[in-house]
Amino acid sequence: MTTAEESMLRANAIGTPLTRLDGTEKVTGTAPYAVEHPVDSPAHLHPLQAAIALGRATGIDTSAAEAEPGVLAVLTHANAPRLASTGNGELEILQSGEVGYRGQFLGGVIAETPEIARRAADLIRVHYERYEHDVELRADRDDLYKPEQVNPAFDTDTAQGDADGALASAAVTLDATYSTPMEHNNPMEPHATIACWTDGELTLHDSTQGVYWTQAAVAPLFELDQQQVRVISPHVGGGFGSKGIPHPNVVLAAMAARLVPGRPVKFPLTRQQMFSVVGYRTPTIQHVRLGADEQGRLSAITLDVVEQTAKVKEFAEQTAIPTRTMYAAPHRRTSHRLAALDTPVPTWMRAPGECPGMFGPEVAMDEMALACGLDPIEFRVRNEPETDPESGLPFSSRNLVACLREGARRFGWHDRDPRPGTRRHGEWLVGTGVAASTYPVFAMPGSQATIRATPDGRYAVRIGAVDIGTGTWTALTQIAADALEVSVGEVDLEIGSTTLPTASGAGGSSGINSWGSPIVAAARTLRARLDEHGGTVPAEGVEATEGMPDNPHTSQYAMHSFGAQFAEVWVNADTGEVSVPRLLGIFAAGRIINARTGRSQLLGGMTMGLSMALHEESVLDPRFGHVVNHDLAEYHIATNADVGSLEVDWLDEHDPYVNPMGSKGIGELGITGTAAAITNAAYHATGIRVRELPLHPDKFLR
Amino acid sequence: MDFLRPTSWRDALEAKAHHPDATPIAGGTDVMVEINFDHRRPTSLLDLTGIDELASWSEHGGKLRIGAGLPYTRLIDELGDRLPGLAIAARTVGSPQIRNRGTLGGNLASASPAGDGHPPLLASGAEVEVESVRGTRLLPVEEFFTGVKRHALASDELISAVHIAPATGAQQFSKIGTRNAMVIAVCTFAIALHPERQRVGTGLGSAAPTPLRAIEAEEFLSGELADSGQWDSPRPLDDSVVRQFGDLVARAASPIDDVRSTADYRTHALGVMARRTLGWVWDEYRNHPSSTGRPECA
Repeated sequence: MTTAEESMLRANAIGTPLTRLDGTEKVTGTAPYAVEHPVDSPAHLHPLQAAIALGRATGIDTSAAEAEPGVLAVLTHANAPRLASTGNGELEILQSGEVGYRGQFLGGVIAETPEIARRAADLIRVHYERYEHDVELRADRDDLYKPEQVNPAFDTDTAQGDADGALASAAVTLDATYSTPMEHNNPMEPHATIACWTDGELTLHDSTQGVYWTQAAVAPLFELDQQQVRVISPHVGGGFGSKGIPHPNVVLAAMAARLVPGRPVKFPLTRQQMFSVVGYRTPTIQHVRLGADEQGRLSAITLDVVEQTAKVKEFAEQTAIPTRTMYAAPHRRTSHRLAALDTPVPTWMRAPGECPGMFGPEVAMDEMALACGLDPIEFRVRNEPETDPESGLPFSSRNLVACLREGARRFGWHDRDPRPGTRRHGEWLVGTGVAASTYPVFAMPGSQATIRATPDGRYAVRIGAVDIGTGTWTALTQIAADALEVSVGEVDLEIGSTTLPTASGAGGSSGINSWGSPIVAAARTLRARLDEHGGTVPAEGVEATEGMPDNPHTSQYAMHSFGAQFAEVWVNADTGEVSVPRLLGIFAAGRIINARTGRSQLLGGMTMGLSMALHEESVLDPRFGHVVNHDLAEYHIATNADVGSLEVDWLDEHDPYVNPMGSKGIGELGITGTAAAITNAAYHATGIRVRELPLHPDKFLR
Repeated sequence: MDFLRPTSWRDALEAKAHHPDATPIAGGTDVMVEINFDHRRPTSLLDLTGIDELASWSEHGGKLRIGAGLPYTRLIDELGDRLPGLAIAARTVGSPQIRNRGTLGGNLASASPAGDGHPPLLASGAEVEVESVRGTRLLPVEEFFTGVKRHALASDELISAVHIAPATGAQQFSKIGTRNAMVIAVCTFAIALHPERQRVGTGLGSAAPTPLRAIEAEEFLSGELADSGQWDSPRPLDDSVVRQFGDLVARAASPIDDVRSTADYRTHALGVMARRTLGWVWDEYRNHPSSTGRPECA
């Protein structure tokens, strides 16, 4: 049996800053996104959305819409295809007139042009019976409930020792509540689909994070075999989780296309429609309690989270998960409680769980360090666990302390005066802050890769993976080249279609792990077969297919990436305006496959974390149940003018246990901890501790 | 929807007279957004971009006449030295692409209380030239705004130009938003010194149903400066004067709570911006009594 060390891939192309193989296509506009695929005589869909938050459509008058020239069909629950019941209340649309949330699809118009479809949809008159709706999350609701598990399959609650007892007897304690608001994913490319039925089979050009995920969700709804649904998605303009689990827009497109068989139906969502139907990050309320001895060693950590889900379908964000791994303490407890509301369904948004869950607890660590009279880095170092605190497993690798120390050196932390509110630059109060980052190493089962060598010296690598803008095309080519021990130029990668071998989707930062591992396995099998042919490729070629290998270390080690983020924040003493001139992130995430696209992902994650800290907040109007600031004019995302110096680096971390590439996944790590570092720096600047995001100016005028 | 595209100003006025419900469109940065979101469904659009003279400016009798169709980018490039306050405000409008399309005339016609161009016009005592086939009239800018997104135009009238005197003293503009660019103002404040008539002008944005002047603040400060002979021999201002000016500006406001901010924050911030911009313009006046303003954006 080979050891973990022996099975590690020798890096040649891996680790280099290879430029994106799809870069030229993208910057010249020739890379086709979902609705840009050339199709013959497309029809266009515009949706009909519920104008109430809860109730029932008692009558839908489509006569005026149907009379519009150019209208091909009008879709409502009266003529919609019957869907099989799969238990997914989000996707099972148009099966009745019931309305579960404002903006829910009630139908649509299919027409010769998008303009006609939109105009006709506007002519549809809907009569409603309204029920009283309930869309407000509060921690003191008496109907909070405990979900069976939290996303994707974690325990809802955990407990060890006697946290309450330890807190009662601790020398230093902290008891504080933190909150993050509802936030919406806004990838540049909106959710978009072309659906076409031919001979009872469905083809979807879809902007998705997983072609096989879309297939698996759609096929059973229409009572089709998996292979009767073909999904194509070579390029995706961002997803961040919102294109992972398919949303009702895909189902509506497929239903509409059913009414015009043989014609492709295009359905790109508008930005405003996205705010109703493609999910969001739940608001979170995080009650943190910490207890420590005089030396600043934690005896107790508790985190009780309250958040929301939708009545039409449950989604339980795993906000307390990172607290189970970050710091040592003998007595600990975590819990999640949900309010089920008449709202759209929350979903994955970059680092679901870890992103909000590294806000409250990491601000609490800053507060507790001060309470213990310790530097926040030293306080974290003192509470570094030897093994995973809850499972007791050793870490496959854990370099949080090294990240904190290297970051401190690079940031110039050593001569920091810990007193808050004492540094001024004109009318600006200046501060610095730190927080930790973490993200688990996920591996998804089920992917397969096929590699074919041909006598012309080329290697065709085929896998139904996707590139949501992260650089999958480039990184998988680098992995295949090293596994085959050939140059990058000899590899022809194919991804982005269900005509390719099965693959998991881009989610949980697991893409490289879950797609790279079977590619390496297939390459090794192929090389063994080539050896049988004396090292030459026979005329008919040689092929090998392998699945995701079992990793025996998964049950033996706790596998996580870590990082440390440092922020310099200026807060205007008179107006409370917040500016972030400097961010530094140092990460330890195993081997980085592509130094260029890897850096971009971490920079992007930190920028999104900055945006979360300063700007992002979906404002839900409780009277109507809709998001008021439902477009990019009012839902603010950080602009260039908000981002100052942004620096990213990583440690050379060697981890032979995670996978043959030694890589841990970096798509989500960069967003975790950023908002906490900025919030901690804003406290250091002002002496005002803000525990609710975003850091709007009025919060600093107390 | 009819699309009217006159090629001369005369034809545009005729068209507006015949189609009083026509919506004029210049850069389209407001009108197209409203159409796209179905907030407005005009029966006809009157496209003014084919009229070259509307996108020009000229100087007569010591005043600048800025055509209603002059894009912000040209206003900044060509008139920024003589209208520094307006140029600072114009630089905070949208993105470079929006500034290439958007016009001062369009900003006026939208009459948003948050329009970035309005406070400097108020502070400078600008006049809006409006015209119809019946004739031309000049409206002081504060009489132009009549309510939230409402103005004093008759149904057959179009905005032809803005008349504004080049700066004779320092001017400033300050804007607070919830991010650093491409943002609708939480609130704005403009100030202009007019040493030749010993007056101070002010303009407030996102502070009330319409853009407005803080007249009490103007009277107070103009009086203080004149009484103490500061226009001729400027000295550092007393803190009490600066504070009182800020308080009077804040008192002029009647803001609301909305998605962007609270009324309390707006009131506070207006006082801060008033004190801050007064400090800037007064420093400049003391150091360079003849110059016309700080070039950079606040």
